[in-house]
Amino acid sequence: MALAGQDTNVKRRDASGPGQAERFPIVSMVLLALTFIGMMISIWMIFLYAPTDAIEGDAQRIFYFHLPSAIIGMLSLGIVALGGIVYLWKKDERWDWVARAAAELGTVFLTFALITGSIWGRTTWGTWWTWDARLTTTLILWFIYIGYLMLRSYMGRTPASARAGAVLAIIGLIDVPIIYESVNWWRTLHPQAVLPLGSSPQLPLEMLLTLVVAFITFTLLFSFLMVQLYQLEKMQTLAQQLRASVE
Amino acid sequence: MIFFEQVIAILWKDIRYELRSKQMWAGMGLFALLVLVIFNFAFDLRVDNRAAVAPGALWVSFVFASMLGLGRTIAAEREKGSMDRLLLCPVDRKAIYLAKLLGNMLFIGVVEIVALPIFAALFNVPLLLGPLLPIVLLGTLGIAAVGTLFSAMAAATRARELLLPILVFPLIVPIVIAAVRATGTLMVPVSNEPPWLGLMVAFDVIFLSISMLTFQYIVEE
Amino acid sequence: MQGLTYLVVAYVIVWVGLLAYLGVVMLRIRGVRTELAAVKELVREQQEKSS
Repeated sequence: MALAGQDTNVKRRDASGPGQAERFPIVSMVLLALTFIGMMISIWMIFLYAPTDAIEGDAQRIFYFHLPSAIIGMLSLGIVALGGIVYLWKKDERWDWVARAAAELGTVFLTFALITGSIWGRTTWGTWWTWDARLTTTLILWFIYIGYLMLRSYMGRTPASARAGAVLAIIGLIDVPIIYESVNWWRTLHPQAVLPLGSSPQLPLEMLLTLVVAFITFTLLFSFLMVQLYQLEKMQTLAQQLRASVE
Repeated sequence: MIFFEQVIAILWKDIRYELRSKQMWAGMGLFALLVLVIFNFAFDLRVDNRAAVAPGALWVSFVFASMLGLGRTIAAEREKGSMDRLLLCPVDRKAIYLAKLLGNMLFIGVVEIVALPIFAALFNVPLLLGPLLPIVLLGTLGIAAVGTLFSAMAAATRARELLLPILVFPLIVPIVIAAVRATGTLMVPVSNEPPWLGLMVAFDVIFLSISMLTFQYIVEE
Repeated sequence: MQGLTYLVVAYVIVWVGLLAYLGVVMLRIRGVRTELAAVKELVREQQEKSS
């Protein structure tokens, strides 16, 4: 199984020797195992432990997957921006690897959030989509991620590409709250279906517990995937550098 | 005031260059007008609809025309290599950005000024040039501030005409919302409107500052 | 019953999607590792030629 980290010995400028690379398979395996366990527990809790919602019925259980992916997808932009800022400051390309990994993962998690959110919306409000502030901002954020990925892809693996990505992420991060507010203001003129989430009463304890467990599971999944993608970026950069030195 | 001298110098160079090539102006202007005409067919413009759709139509055409205009300076510079020569001089990178921004705004602004009376005529709405001017100015500034920065980024890639809107459109959502609503309230005054102009000012200040500060990272080799 | 269908569909999509993505990531890692080995071979050959 092609788990990241089983690197062979390589001479590199900032010699991260064999010791560090061999440690990673353990980290990866531990994270994978924890994620798997977490998933199993979550599934049990979501389908069997958590009570059925009185108003929405069974479909409400989508929420337990939807909310963690949405939040993690959004927070990932912070990681991209952080990686970018530190890269601009220290010029250490490892931070750019973090940024690229976080951008890809953010897109993936946000895609799942949008899909599950849409299905959930279909069952609750009868529409596949509504232009409320939360959903709209999530969609715009998704576009920002895609723009980031396209930009990085077009510009390749160069310092200029890393710098451009960093600037895009910083601007995106600062813009998202502004986008949210402006859509909110715009929405007050067109009141439509109200999201049950924000104005819902206190969640019963079982539901809250299930949500927390699901959240932890998704965080573990995110961490595991981050490690894999980071190693992927590292190896791709390395391969490119070596190839350049040969030609 | 060396900084502003640099800005004016670069700006003047760009203006002289643009004045020589008239195609871009005509192209952008025609494009803006065509978008307005298409809107007429896209939406059923009976009297009551018109007031609702007009601000949107205006700003869609402005945004698209801006995208056309934004691509030009940086792309032209890169091709000619004059950007590299400019960077060799000890010019403040912020001055370069400001000059590009002002050049873009001037360019887009001329197209907008020409398009406005025609827009008023086509949609049969009052021109209201006075109150409209601050809205157009702030809106264009917001779009151009972000757009100038990203056009420098996209210029380094092959698919720059495609990439620029993809990067810029999501980020200018607040400005577009504010500009359309502000224009709309001007035509059909509504009570209890959120402070759209204030939002535009805030957006412009924030993103102008950030763009000025980060431009150097985009442009340095 | 309708709600249950949507629920199942949603979870199936997420699960299949996640597993598919996981698979893609693993494939990419394997691909890079192969390329890395190949390039290192090239480097070694070149070093032997020059020495």
